[in-house]
Order: sequence, then C-alpha cells, then structure tokens
Amino acid sequence: MKLSSLTERNDRDLVLISVFTFFTVTLWVFFEVIKTVKTTTVTPQVTQTIVPLSPTIDFDVLQTIAGKKVY
Amino acid sequence: MAFNYKQEYERYKRYYQSLEPALTKPASRAYTAIIFSFLVISLFSWYAIRPTMQTIFTLKREITDKTDLDKKMEDKISALIEAQAAYQNVEPDLPLIHEALPVNSDAVRAARQLQGLAAETHVAVTHISILTVPLTGDSGTGTQPKSAPDTVLDFPVSLSVSGAYPDVKNFIMGIHNVRRIMHITSMTFSPVRESGAVASGSATPSGTQIKLDLKLEVFYLSSSS
Repeated sequence: MKLSSLTERNDRDLVLISVFTFFTVTLWVFFEVIKTVKTTTVTPQVTQTIVPLSPTIDFDVLQTIAGKKVY
Repeated sequence: MAFNYKQEYERYKRYYQSLEPALTKPASRAYTAIIFSFLVISLFSWYAIRPTMQTIFTLKREITDKTDLDKKMEDKISALIEAQAAYQNVEPDLPLIHEALPVNSDAVRAARQLQGLAAETHVAVTHISILTVPLTGDSGTGTQPKSAPDTVLDFPVSLSVSGAYPDVKNFIMGIHNVRRIMHITSMTFSPVRESGAVASGSATPSGTQIKLDLKLEVFYLSSSS
C-alpha cells in the first residue's frame, strides 16, 4: 500500500474522531447548561419559609362558637 | 549512556523525510487544519466555554430565583402584617377557641359540660365513662395520628342517659350546641321498662322513658409543650 493513500485514510479517520469528539463535547456542554438552568438555587429551608400565608380569619366561626353554650 | 542526537537522527531520518511529501500535499494540510480545529474547539469548549457558560447561567438563574424570592417574601411580610392586625382583632375571643378546642384533653371539663347539659334538659345521667384520658396533649388515643404538633386529637366518652323522649331529643340536640367540640359516633335507644307503667296509644308518647347510650369523641388540640 502506498504511503500517500495510507496517510489519507488515517486523515479521514482522524477527522471523524475529531468531529465526534467535537459533537460529544458540544452536547455535553449543552446538557450541562440545561441542567444549570433547570436547577433551582433556592434551598428547601427558604422554600419552606416563603410558603404563602392566608391572613384572613373566619369571624363567622368565632361567632358560631360564641353562640354555643357552656355549662 | 548519553543521548547522541546525530546518530539517532541518522537512524530515523528516513521516517521524517517520508512524512515531508505527505504534509506538503494540499489535501493533507486541509485535513490537518480541520482535525486540529475541531480538537481545539472541543478542548476550549470543555475547559473554557463550559465553565463560563455554567457561571453565566447559574448567575442568571440565581437572579431569577432571588427576584421571585424577594416578591414572595414581600407578599408574606404583607400577609403577616395583615394576620397580626387580624389576630389583634380576634385576641379577646381567643378564650372561646380554647374552650372549644383546648390544648390538652381537659376530660373533667368535658364531663362537666355533659352533666350540665343533662341537668338543663332534665335527663338523668346513669353512666358516664371516659375510657382513656391522655394526661398530656401529645398522646391521643382516638383515630388521629399520634404526636404531631398542632394536630386535632380526640378521646372516647361513653355515656348513658335516661329520660322522657323530648328531653332525650333535646339532650342530643344540645350536644351539638355545646361549645366543647364533640362528635357522636354511635347512639342506641332502648325503652325503660318500669313496673306498673301505663301503656299509651301515642307513637312517641311523651311519658315513655327512654334510655340512650351514646358514644362520643371529644376533641382537643395536641400540644407538645
């Protein structure tokens, strides 16, 4: 086999390897970025702290209780 | 042994020289350029672009999260201020809530309520038993799960009363009107046989004595303190 054809075949293989490496790294970086975007930075303790609070008090219940009898 | 580069060069010269015509070919040069370009881009993507992108998107996400957090915190602070005002409004009525749902079992008070109701409705309490009274607030015996803070628990009360039909009816209605929260789980009626009683023609004669067996659940709020 001639040296020039051997070199050309090697070149093609190396191009394929480098292209696959490039795509692998690109996809890896892409998915890492997606993971970073999706992961929240708020801790569970803070999430628990900001649970919404309803400030309304049912006064009707208090009136109903007040209307009941105590012996 | 010292490295003699002249001798080594002479030895491997033919390999170096055979590479030279291959590298001078335009196709090989193009291939080499492409290969190294892809490899360099990959290398920089991994070691430079990836950390930078991660930092950028982490910071952006943090800004979004903190903005959202800030808004929710402000909402909660406003809600707490409103709740404080509402609490101050209802503060005089808080004893009512403690009477309805005390922070410990307070079984004696519950029994007194039932006795008071019986006296008011003119029925005679023949039997009252509180099977298991939890002395501390965190050991419920009823159907509720045990010892979680701010959990409504209950204890069972068994009660027998006897009296005229309207009085027994008033007693049952009165249980729902007692401030202490109670729940009737079962009730059994049976007529009281008295020697020398005169039969009446009415379907629900007011003079007929009825015995009522009640099973109640009396509720209280568990408290670990």
